[in-house]
Amino acid sequence: MTRRGVIPVLAAVAAVAAATAATSLAGTSRVSAPTLKGAGSSFVAPLVAQWQANYKSANVEYNPIGSGGGIAAITARNVDFGASDAPLSKDEFAACKGCVQIPWALSATSIPYNLDLKGRLKLNGKVLAGIYLGQIKTWNDRRIKALNKGLSLPSTKITPVYRSDNSGTSYNFTDYLSSVNSTWKKRIGVGTNAKWPAGIGAPKSNGVAAAVSQTKGAIGYVDVAYAIKNHLPFAAIQNAAGRFILPGNVGIRAAAATVKKVPSSNEVSIVNPPRSQRSAYPICTFTYVILPLKTSKASDLRRFVFWALTGGQQYGPKLRFVPIPNKVLGASEKTLKRVHS
Amino acid sequence: MTAVAETPAARAAELRRRGRFNPGDTALHGVTLTAAAAAVALLGLIAWKVVDQARPAIHRFGLHFLVANDWDPGARQVFGAAAFLFGTAVTSLGALLIAGPLSIAIALFLTELAPRWLRGPIGALVEMLAAVPSVVVGLWGILVMGPFVANHLEPWLKHTFGFLPLFRGDPSIFGLLPAILVLTIMITPIVSSVSRELFLGVPRELKEGALALGTTRWEMIRGVVLPYARSGIAAALILGLGRAVGEAIAVTQVIGGNVAIHWSLFQPGDTLASRIASQYQGATTKLQVGSIAYLATILLVFSLVANIAAQAIVRKVARRQPVIR
Repeated sequence: MTRRGVIPVLAAVAAVAAATAATSLAGTSRVSAPTLKGAGSSFVAPLVAQWQANYKSANVEYNPIGSGGGIAAITARNVDFGASDAPLSKDEFAACKGCVQIPWALSATSIPYNLDLKGRLKLNGKVLAGIYLGQIKTWNDRRIKALNKGLSLPSTKITPVYRSDNSGTSYNFTDYLSSVNSTWKKRIGVGTNAKWPAGIGAPKSNGVAAAVSQTKGAIGYVDVAYAIKNHLPFAAIQNAAGRFILPGNVGIRAAAATVKKVPSSNEVSIVNPPRSQRSAYPICTFTYVILPLKTSKASDLRRFVFWALTGGQQYGPKLRFVPIPNKVLGASEKTLKRVHS
Repeated sequence: MTAVAETPAARAAELRRRGRFNPGDTALHGVTLTAAAAAVALLGLIAWKVVDQARPAIHRFGLHFLVANDWDPGARQVFGAAAFLFGTAVTSLGALLIAGPLSIAIALFLTELAPRWLRGPIGALVEMLAAVPSVVVGLWGILVMGPFVANHLEPWLKHTFGFLPLFRGDPSIFGLLPAILVLTIMITPIVSSVSRELFLGVPRELKEGALALGTTRWEMIRGVVLPYARSGIAAALILGLGRAVGEAIAVTQVIGGNVAIHWSLFQPGDTLASRIASQYQGATTKLQVGSIAYLATILLVFSLVANIAAQAIVRKVARRQPVIR
């Protein structure tokens, strides 16, 4: 058989697996030496790696295949938990048949760029939306200049880079652009993928990073831990209070402090926080663990996720993950208690 | 052909086979029949499953899907395949246009022109190119080929052939041209190794006869080797086309995942296979999953048509070809 058959085969095999597994709850209980298998968000992967190393009561396996993949995997019950940066959509909740999402970590999306500048680039949501809408085309546009007095900006063409795969980072980014720009909200909207009006698409964080670092004048978006690890320069973003903030622990913590109450779905959006949070970084997101309500590994899962929510949070700050605020923690613990065997 | 089985020798063999019951033969028959039936059943199951998944999209968009240039997984939830059909056609035909002549040249060099000690190593190296995983080719495409294309090849093309709409626009490391080049690299080994086998199969008497009549080497190639292998070359090209159309991962990495139809090869685009690869996982709505399965259905139908066309071409050309043996 030639290669041309491979893609439909993969799609179909995945579909068959999803269909059969969704109807029958897989997994037999193992009492001794529990192993918890998870998959999903690459955004949260560095933090989960710390948890794997430091959690003693179970072996945690984690496969950072992306948020979309994590949702698919837990829907098919191929894993014990899924992880996603984007909250489940209505269709996904229905397909997952008795799943809950629990916010378990908190971080930010950075805006890396490829320009030789004497200082750090400053941007705001309006300009960022203008760039990604294709309305602002060159770096010496007056709208960018107005934010960067003192920097000499080149006339280089701007190449916005986006994720071509479905991604929680894209969700965070489009959520932010929708909240700051009405044109974006009307024409494009929020989602793990979008109808990108300008720029080029690259797969996964590493694809975006490669595209930005290989293209003069490019701009992109990746989780801040990834940008720091790969030494990508990123922009300071103006918040509602008018200050330019970097995606650091202080900025993320301030953004999370705006959460007043958590809805029953646990879906919390903290992009573009109000001006009362003067030092908030405006592109922050909670990331979720997705658990089946009924599972044979309920007690092991509960113990691990509870530890991640509490003791596990201490490993976050050096990776730019900030301990989740008490209001959210309370809601998370309440939901966690509902997981049973 | 049935004529073969009707020779006296074959009939005798048939009689001998029937005369003796052989459990080994029966088992062999069973195993091979099961394998063949499983392959057919699997194909049927795949086709059914893909079409079944595509049902929401087929129901919603109908055949208009094929001409609609739109892909909005956001709130609007409108999907269409036109841009991906265009991208698939441009990249795979572009790759074939480069890889076809290149592969035939490689095969001719290896069979007719290269010194004997050089044939083995070069042939092996060309075939090794086929063993490089496509994700590695794609990564190389981003990190090495992309910058070369954006900084040297595309500016040169623009400068020299900029009067053609194909070579207008801003050079970029992502786009249709990098995808064409990556596909060229991936299909050249297949087409060239098949062609080489074909050229090796040209009877030596014919070639020597031509040379004895005083032809030059080129006249011998043009008059004997190429006509003799004609049908095979057509099949090899269609094999390459099939590979190019179906290739997903490497293309995803360099094509720039954009929903648009434009003439400039420097601009980003997307193909059927690369769109499926990048967006199947984690599609958020039933309609989006259905639309991706619809793309897979189109790919499946295309593969079927290409296969049938290939066989038809081979048969037609083979019939026209004078019997030489």
